[in-house]
Amino acid sequence: MLDVIRYFILRALRNMRQWPLLCFASILTMAVALATVATFFLVVVNIEQLATRWTQEIQVIAYLKKAPSQNNIANITKNLKQIPEVETVKYVSQSDAMDRFKSHLGNDASLLEGVSKNLLPASFELGIHSEFRNQDGIATVIEKLENQLDVDDLRYGQQWLERFNHFAEMLRFVSMVLGGFLLFAALFIVSNTIKLTLYARRDELEIMALVGATMRFIKIPFMLEGAIQGLLGGLISLAFLTFSFVFILTRSIESFWLTPSGFNLVFLSTNQQILLVLSGVLLGVLGSLSSLRRFVRI
Amino acid sequence: MIQLFNVTKKYGADSAAVKDMTLQIDKGEFVYVTGASGAGKTTFLRMLYSAEKPTKGQILIDGQNITRFHSRQIAFLRRKIGVVFQDFKLLQSRTVYENVAFALEAQGKKRYEVSKKVYQALKEVGLEHRLQRKPLELSGGEQQRIAIARALVVDPLILLADEPSGNLDQDVTFEIMELFKRANARGTTVLLATHDHSLNKRFPRRVLTLDQGKLIGDQQPMAV
Repeated sequence: MLDVIRYFILRALRNMRQWPLLCFASILTMAVALATVATFFLVVVNIEQLATRWTQEIQVIAYLKKAPSQNNIANITKNLKQIPEVETVKYVSQSDAMDRFKSHLGNDASLLEGVSKNLLPASFELGIHSEFRNQDGIATVIEKLENQLDVDDLRYGQQWLERFNHFAEMLRFVSMVLGGFLLFAALFIVSNTIKLTLYARRDELEIMALVGATMRFIKIPFMLEGAIQGLLGGLISLAFLTFSFVFILTRSIESFWLTPSGFNLVFLSTNQQILLVLSGVLLGVLGSLSSLRRFVRI
Repeated sequence: MIQLFNVTKKYGADSAAVKDMTLQIDKGEFVYVTGASGAGKTTFLRMLYSAEKPTKGQILIDGQNITRFHSRQIAFLRRKIGVVFQDFKLLQSRTVYENVAFALEAQGKKRYEVSKKVYQALKEVGLEHRLQRKPLELSGGEQQRIAIARALVVDPLILLADEPSGNLDQDVTFEIMELFKRANARGTTVLLATHDHSLNKRFPRRVLTLDQGKLIGDQQPMAV
């Protein structure tokens, strides 16, 4: 048994050494195919991450017609906190609003001298639980707010939220279509490259069958070869991806004007990296297997 | 050893390469299969090592009906049959040793057994000193001897040779015939497809004559 395993491994390695150019072509094709799919995956994941980050900034601000009395604030805050969608409640008094405005103005704050401290309306700023940071969740909060408070105006970035929802849906749809297409193209190219390498070795396959090798005996070294090539292709694609992530993607997204400060790009997790390399192995084995079916006939 | 019962092989609706062939070849026989090009010699031999399945009829080898064999059984059948071709069918990227060893490795034989048998087989054909050469560095006659060594290294019950001397001159052909005769003397049944009548004159044996797929003659050698 050990002799047979040793033979299979040696045969696979010898085949690769005997046809270095074909072997290189297969590895490179798999590396490019995997890197393309993985880069696309990485871009989509990061855009989604970025979009999720934007939604964190979503909050509902209710400007009040009349500032509540000091005793009432705690009561209203308590009531608002009981709304299931609401995560945090912050009361901004008229004087707090004026202080904020002044600090925004910076050196020009002196313009506000002599202006009444009660010029700006008092407001409640409501943070929303992450699962409700969407159109429906916000609509529910607003409805409840309008019942409980004497609201003058509401701000929750309604237009932006609608656009974001459309964008997120489109992104998911496009990523599914394009990702599927890329994966199919990768499989097609890899299987054709392997087919070409097997075509160059059809004599060997024919003679193996002629001298009484079983199908399993013929196929295993080729599948092993496909697996080794896939492993190398996977590792190369991972190296390429790491390089392009650090030197290209990070820099280009950081310069993107919509990127919130402190946003860190996401790279593939350890499991995803292992999955990428294993996909290479699987791609190699399946590519070999599907092509062998065409060339080995006993 | 080999029995055919009403065997027909058709490639299209109208073109039969072998028609209604019935014959028997005993163990240890040496048989020529002759006929013009297109007579069906190659198809006949290909059916014997199951590269083709007959359209009709049954083929028995060593008592087993090979027409019903699955791919795994076919692989095991081929281990009992050595095949030699006109174009040698050697792997040009491999050495002489590797080409002959290939047949044993494909059968999953142990390494020490492989090296011993390969050396013996190459000694038998007189090429034991060319172990590390590549086939293209050798003459046509030498290449055919490697192919014969590859066919004989597995100690086959049957040796099939399809025009083995087609590309070789007469002296080399006679050398090769000696190798076939020696294998036959050790008990291997030999079937040799050829259109070279001089072989039968020099080495008289049973002759099967094919014409347009039909067996039209079955002559035993004349008693000397």
